[in-house]
Amino acid sequence: MKLSGLQKQVIHLYRSCVRMAYKKPVEYQPHWRKFTRDEFDKHQHIPKKSFAAVEHLIRAGTRRLEMYSNDQIKDIH
Amino acid sequence: MSRLGLGMSKTALKSSAVYRPTLVRGIKTIPQPPGYIVGTVNDAYVPPKPNKTHGSLHWAREKVVTVAMIPFIGYPFLAGTTTFVDASMSGLLLYHCYVGFQSCIIDYIPKRVYGAYHNYAMYLLTFGSGVAAYGIYELEKKEGGVTTIISKLWKA
Amino acid sequence: MFKAITRLNTLGLRRTLATSAQEQRLKTFQIYRWNPDTPEIQPKMESYQIDLNQCGPMVLDALLKVKNEHDASLTFRRSCREGICGSCAMNIGGTNTLACLCKIDQDASKDLKIYPLPHMFVVKDLVPDLTHFYKQYKSIQPYLQRDTLPTDGRENLQSIEDRAKLDGLYECILCACCSTSCPSYWWNQQEYLGPAVLMQAYRWLIDSRDEATKIRKEMLQNSMSLYRCHTIMNCAKTCPKGLNPGRAIAEIKKQLAFD
Repeated sequence: MKLSGLQKQVIHLYRSCVRMAYKKPVEYQPHWRKFTRDEFDKHQHIPKKSFAAVEHLIRAGTRRLEMYSNDQIKDIH
Repeated sequence: MSRLGLGMSKTALKSSAVYRPTLVRGIKTIPQPPGYIVGTVNDAYVPPKPNKTHGSLHWAREKVVTVAMIPFIGYPFLAGTTTFVDASMSGLLLYHCYVGFQSCIIDYIPKRVYGAYHNYAMYLLTFGSGVAAYGIYELEKKEGGVTTIISKLWKA
Repeated sequence: MFKAITRLNTLGLRRTLATSAQEQRLKTFQIYRWNPDTPEIQPKMESYQIDLNQCGPMVLDALLKVKNEHDASLTFRRSCREGICGSCAMNIGGTNTLACLCKIDQDASKDLKIYPLPHMFVVKDLVPDLTHFYKQYKSIQPYLQRDTLPTDGRENLQSIEDRAKLDGLYECILCACCSTSCPSYWWNQQEYLGPAVLMQAYRWLIDSRDEATKIRKEMLQNSMSLYRCHTIMNCAKTCPKGLNPGRAIAEIKKQLAFD
């Protein structure tokens, strides 16, 4: 399957989130992974043709990823 | 909705692909960082490397050429034309157009988004200007210059 | 003091009497709405009917009235309500301006359309994302840079003439009205700094106390940062504070040309 540019960006964001989870304390890593999954699942119903919506979610997601990447934040629920 | 255009309000917002003409749809553009933000939110924006030829020198040359054109355009009206005046006028006018189109390309086909297409557009412009320069040379040699042709057309 | 209070009271009384005697003057406000919680729903214009007799004179008053009485979910930035904070910059009736400084057109038959600042990413309703704008502002290093200490060991003094040069520049409140009205900024906002930021760059270039002029100039020496300005002058036309960023940019170009 050939992915569109936008789909690649979504996957890139997801992978960065998972990578970020590895930098967190080991005992909390499952929380982070679950959180990432849940956040992505929340918007799974959005059709891939609604570019504006997906672009917005990528922007918002990148911003949140940057916020959560802070070392001070250890755990998430 | 990602970006708000003045004209786009209600119905026209179905999807961004609808807007793009067929020709553009085939062209691959470079995806931009989300929200145009490179690095973190708190980093300062990093400007392109300083390059005087593309900066102030380019601008100064542009303005000097524009100002220099004025006497060369005015002169034939007052005192007829010579090959030197005519050739300088055409040459300067050509450079003026070249710089104008260059600006258009930088504005509308930016390297940041179109990558190689930006270069192709520049090559095409340079090639076209070269052809035009050769055309001016031929005109000067055979027809006696642009001014002569215009005055002929004016009388005809 | 007491007198003033009584006068206020009578004024208020007269006002209520006048409004109750008059009939309603309903004006339609069309406001851009988009909710990030439901990104799949397209943005739309929503109409609100406001009685002008019951509303303050400025567009911001009308917006607050909509938020208080019609739809509490309407989102916009506002703070000082007197044009000094630059929060309530938006596109009102086709012009970028501050809602708190923009009078409502009293002709009730005409609709007033309110959009967020054009060509910016929308966070919600009338709130644009200005992150990139602030990043650009940060990149011009908008602070005093000196290698030497002040001669009297206390403060950097400036002559009255040197101070006068900063008039018309320091008043900028960075509301982004000018930048978002500039077509060059629309097409190339990633690389072109835009009128607001360039005017601040000029403000620091000509500051007599600043000693980093060389670095500041060098930063602008490329085809994108400064020279995407084509003197369209929308910036000067739209500035709600009556400043002229276009002139400042022209001055930078002049300085760089003789550099």
